[in-house]
Amino acid sequence: MSQDVATIRVTRYRPEKDGKPYFQDYKVPYRKDMVVLDALNYIKANLDGTLTYRWSCRMGVCGSCGANVDGVPKLTCASFLHEFKGRTIKVEPLSHFPVIKDLVVNMDDFMHKLVEIKPWIIREKESPPEEGEYRQSAEELERYDQFSSCINCMLCYSACPVYGLNEKFLGPAATAIAYRYIEDSRDQGKAVRFPIVHELEGVWECTLVGECSVVCPKGVDPMLAIQKTKILGATNALKSLVMPRGGK
Amino acid sequence: MPKVARLHAILWGVFSMGGFIAAFLLPVLIYLVGIAYPLGLWPVANADPTSAILNHHHLGTLFLFVTVAGSLYHGIFRFQSTLTEIGLAPAKRALEAIGYLIIVVGILAVAYYLLLLNPNVLSLP
Amino acid sequence: MSKQKPFPEYRRKLGPGWWLSNGHFTQYMIREWTSFFVAVFSLIYIYELSLFATGAKDSALALMRNPGIIAFNVLALLFTLYHAFTWFYLIGKVQPIRMGKTTSKPWQALLVNIVLLLIIFYAVIQILVLR
Repeated sequence: MSQDVATIRVTRYRPEKDGKPYFQDYKVPYRKDMVVLDALNYIKANLDGTLTYRWSCRMGVCGSCGANVDGVPKLTCASFLHEFKGRTIKVEPLSHFPVIKDLVVNMDDFMHKLVEIKPWIIREKESPPEEGEYRQSAEELERYDQFSSCINCMLCYSACPVYGLNEKFLGPAATAIAYRYIEDSRDQGKAVRFPIVHELEGVWECTLVGECSVVCPKGVDPMLAIQKTKILGATNALKSLVMPRGGK
Repeated sequence: MPKVARLHAILWGVFSMGGFIAAFLLPVLIYLVGIAYPLGLWPVANADPTSAILNHHHLGTLFLFVTVAGSLYHGIFRFQSTLTEIGLAPAKRALEAIGYLIIVVGILAVAYYLLLLNPNVLSLP
Repeated sequence: MSKQKPFPEYRRKLGPGWWLSNGHFTQYMIREWTSFFVAVFSLIYIYELSLFATGAKDSALALMRNPGIIAFNVLALLFTLYHAFTWFYLIGKVQPIRMGKTTSKPWQALLVNIVLLLIIFYAVIQILVLR
C-alpha cells in the first residue's frame, strides 16, 4: 500500500547553533485537502518537534502563519499542497524581515508602524453615551470598508521590493490601515495621521509595483490605499500653497 | 518627529500631470518629428513637422512646450524613483540633484528656444 | 520579555537583481524604464529646437534623419506607448468610476483612454501639421 508523499523543504535556523540558515527536507503524507500548515503540524508532531513556526486560527483570519511558500508570501493555512507543481514545496520565512528562528520572523518594525499610525478612531471630543451612537451611512462605510479587512499578516511587506530595499518605508498595510481611519467619517484624526503617511518615507517611497495587492489574502488592495493617500497629499499640499491659512 | 513632505507632494503632483502629458501628447510628437518626417510617412508633406507646428504661433508653441517640459519632468522624476531599486541608493542624493538640475535647465532651455522661434507668442492673439 | 538579544537574527538582503525573479517585477521595471526613453527623447528634441532657433535648421533636420536617431525614436515611441497603456490601466485601477450600480474596471479605462489617445493623435496632426 503505497501512500502519496510530499517533500516539505523548510528553512531551519537555530541562532544558538547555526551561523546561517539551511534547508531540511521532511516527507509528509500527501492528502488532497492538506494545506502547508497541516504539513508543518505533521512534521512537528511526528518527525521533528524542534521545527518552529507561528500559527493560530488555521482558517485565514488571524494573520499569524505567513511564510514564503515556493517563493511567494502566503498564509500557510491557506496554501493547499495541490496548488503547487510537483511534490516538493519550499517553505521559507517571510521575506524582508529578520529571522529569529526557523520560520519565525521579527515583526517589531511592522508592529511599531502599526502603532505609529494610531489604528483607532480619534475624536476631538468624545461625545457622552447619552448623546447616542455616531451614525454612518452605507456610502460612508463603503469608503473605508475594504481597508478594514487587513489582518496584519505582513504578506504585503514581504512582497514589496521598496520595503525590502528600504526598511524605513511605511509600507502597504500601515498605510492602508491609516487610510481606513482617514476615510472613516467618525474619525477626526487627519492632523495626526497625515504627517505620518505624508512624510518622505511614507507613501512617497511607493513606486506602484503593486505586488502588495496581488498577495493580500483579504482583498484589501493596499496599493489603492497608498495611491489615494498620495492624491490626498498632493491636493492638500496644493491647497496649502493657494490658501495658506484656510482649509485643512 | 514625522513631518508632511509638502514639497515632495507637489513635485509628485506635477509628475502625475506629466504622466498624462507623456501618455497623450508625446506619442504624436515622437511619431511626427522622429519617424514620419525622416521616413517620409503620412502626414509629412513638404515642410518638416516642427516648422509646421511652429507656424501655429500660439497653439503650436504651447503644444511643444507642454509636451516637452511635461515629458522631460515626468521621465526624470520617474527614473529617479527607481534609483534605489537598481542598486544606486548610495548615489541617490547626488543623482537626484543632477536630475532636478537637468529638469530646470531643460525647461528653461525649451522655453528660451521657443521664444526665439516665436517671439510674439507671449502677446495675446 | 528581556530586551537582550543573545542570539543573532538572520538578516537577508535584497540583491540588485530582485526584479528578475518574478514576472510581475520584470514587467514593472520595464514600465518604469519607459521613463528613460521619455526623458532622453525630450532632451534630443530640445537640442533639435536649439538648432532651429539658432538658424541651423539644416543641421536639425540632418540630425532627425540620422539612422541611429531614427532607431532610437522607434524604440522611444514603443516605450512611450507602453507607458501610456500601463498608465491608463493604473488610472483605471486607482480611480474607478461609478456608473450606477457598477464600477468601472481597469481594462475599460484602458480602452477608453486608447480611443482618446487616437483622437488626440489625429487632432494634433490635423490642426498643427495639415492645416
